[in-house]
Amino acid sequence: MKSTNPFALWRWEDLFQNFDNFSSGFLRTLQVAILALALSLVIGIVIGILSTAHNMILRSVARVYVEIFQNIPLVIQIFFMYNGLAMAGLVLSEFTIGVVGVGLYHGAYIGEVVRAGILSVPKGQQEAAYAQGFSYTQTMRYIILPQMVKGILPPLTNQAVNLIKNTSVLAIIAGADLMYAADSYASFSLNYGPSYVIAGLLYFILCFPLATFSRKYEEKLKKNDSLVVDIPEVME
Amino acid sequence: MKKRNLLATVILSSVLFLGACSSDDSSTTEADTPKVSDQLTIESIKEAGVLKVGVKEDVPNFGLKNTDTGEIEGFEIDIAKKIAEDILGDPDAIELTPVTAKTRGPLLDNGEVDMVIATFTVTEERKETYNFSDAYYEDAVGLLVKKDKNYEGLKDMDGANVGVAQSSTTSEAIASEAEQYDITVEFSEYATYPEIKAALDSGRVDAFSVDRSILAGYLDDSTEILPDRFATQDYGIATKKTNTELAEYVNELITTWGEDDTLNGLVSEWGLSE
Amino acid sequence: MINSIQTVFTRPNVLFLLDGLKTTLLISLCVVILSIVFGTLLGLIRNYEKKFFGKIAGFYIELFRNTPLLLWMLGCAFLIPGSTILVKASIALFLYTAAVVAEIVRGGLNSIPKGQFEAAHSQGFSFFQTLVYIILPQTFKKIIPSLLSQVITTIKDTSFLAGLGIMEFTRSGQVILGKVTKTSEVFLIYGFLAVVYFIICFALSVLVRNWHEKNSENV
Repeated sequence: MKSTNPFALWRWEDLFQNFDNFSSGFLRTLQVAILALALSLVIGIVIGILSTAHNMILRSVARVYVEIFQNIPLVIQIFFMYNGLAMAGLVLSEFTIGVVGVGLYHGAYIGEVVRAGILSVPKGQQEAAYAQGFSYTQTMRYIILPQMVKGILPPLTNQAVNLIKNTSVLAIIAGADLMYAADSYASFSLNYGPSYVIAGLLYFILCFPLATFSRKYEEKLKKNDSLVVDIPEVME
Repeated sequence: MKKRNLLATVILSSVLFLGACSSDDSSTTEADTPKVSDQLTIESIKEAGVLKVGVKEDVPNFGLKNTDTGEIEGFEIDIAKKIAEDILGDPDAIELTPVTAKTRGPLLDNGEVDMVIATFTVTEERKETYNFSDAYYEDAVGLLVKKDKNYEGLKDMDGANVGVAQSSTTSEAIASEAEQYDITVEFSEYATYPEIKAALDSGRVDAFSVDRSILAGYLDDSTEILPDRFATQDYGIATKKTNTELAEYVNELITTWGEDDTLNGLVSEWGLSE
Repeated sequence: MINSIQTVFTRPNVLFLLDGLKTTLLISLCVVILSIVFGTLLGLIRNYEKKFFGKIAGFYIELFRNTPLLLWMLGCAFLIPGSTILVKASIALFLYTAAVVAEIVRGGLNSIPKGQFEAAHSQGFSFFQTLVYIILPQTFKKIIPSLLSQVITTIKDTSFLAGLGIMEFTRSGQVILGKVTKTSEVFLIYGFLAVVYFIICFALSVLVRNWHEKNSENV
């Protein structure tokens, strides 16, 4: 009789024989993460700039966006896109929902990071730029944004790590990502142990380098006395 | 400093994995012959004074939570009560734990429940991991579809996406049936039944497939259950693999009740005869 | 539309949903309290114990910070022997959140000027006394906004428990969803879930903002 140990060797062998699902799940996680990150960066920069605009309407728009997406669980947002929108006639693929859902969600958080970054550039810079005749957009583009890019890299990479982890939400809508692959295989074969360990390892491999880079870079910035963006550093 | 952290992480994880793997051979011989003291026996249940059973709470007539009273009721709960009456002399000496297809196995393995009576289909593969009593009910896999799709049967559903529950036997049953019709279907897995129903409503899946008895609870005006019946399923009472004494005892009870029509009585009471 | 509202928000349904909400809030509260305690401990150990335990704490934090919460919930629910699914999944949430809190605490500790330790030492404080009377009070004052933000995140994280059959707020909504078919009804349910979560989390985030403004020296 086979050992009933949840981590028995025969379970590992079975897993590696069925590894295809894991690798395609891993690939999909990677794809969704990269696209979602791109989307959330774009949204984040726009929201960040809007939230520091002079125009109150623009600021309100940004504020509303951030509050809505930060205060509703990602699970609910994804379920709504998956079932709610589909019932109303808009049927998006799981991949699209993953990218858009996670992208919109983290766009709000990155927006806050960008906002903090913009605010951390000394106001004198902006005043000097205006004195020189720069328009608002030009000031942003040539003076403010370039300076804060370095400073916001640490919190940005934190967000990237959280984003990668949040792609696991695809598992609940049969999204064929790494988490779904692990869960599906585990439910089918009852090999829970190896399945979740391998999934964990794969996520770790994706996230740990980014997290380490973020920490290293932040220390380097502090040492050089460069601009450091001070925001509640852990926002998920 | 960073490299050392990474190295430490890698080493520690590999040690954990190796440790987990190496415990395999030594535990094989021990797992084969369960020590009597490790088993959950009738005696220990009597000592505990309560029978812990895992049941469904979202399947009408089998195990469904009554939102008014807060109690779970159904055919399977009645069976649990009868077993409790037999072992402990009191049909209400039961502790019901709601389970899903996904969670019933693990809860049994870790001892949170003594047995599972939760529309658990008996298969040869599952018998390797759990003990099953003889069948207390026979059901078949069915398909719940939207009426406006005008499907007549599985044969109309080439290329359809079928929603199933994770950890269920449904997809295999459907797949082999589909082979016979020479068509292919795809599967989407979800963690709980309401999620599959929602997916059916929104058009994400073309059919919701699970045992017909469970489907009956999700029937409404816009949906119908197709006449196809596949892979007749035997529901058995599941017990942990190492609890052989308990499994035999329970099996005897079921056999007796099958012969003396007690089971049939319950079946008609809950309107389950088809 | 009115018809849909009547169908969805019947008295038993609403009570059922509120029951789920109660579970959500209860779990969140327990997890938050426990993880702040444990997380602070972890953060302190990682920062000040440079030899063995510090490294273990570091390993723990890195492990949980770089893997998804859902994975831990599933893993703990299925691999830990004994106890109920709800407890085990909540333990997973607790372990995960504790790692996050540890990082918040670490950030707070790092922002305390080293001079404090020296001054305390010169006054005759032992290391533990310094921690308890000087460092920790200051740290906590600084990290309250982050901790409150984490409370918000924890409340949102409980929605992952739905996939394990735990009858918290999101799953209660799903069960009701299983009984309705019309698009308007579906939207109503999702809307209700979203609005309730929003109200709770937004209220907390307003608290965070107010605290930040009142207490931040460099606004």
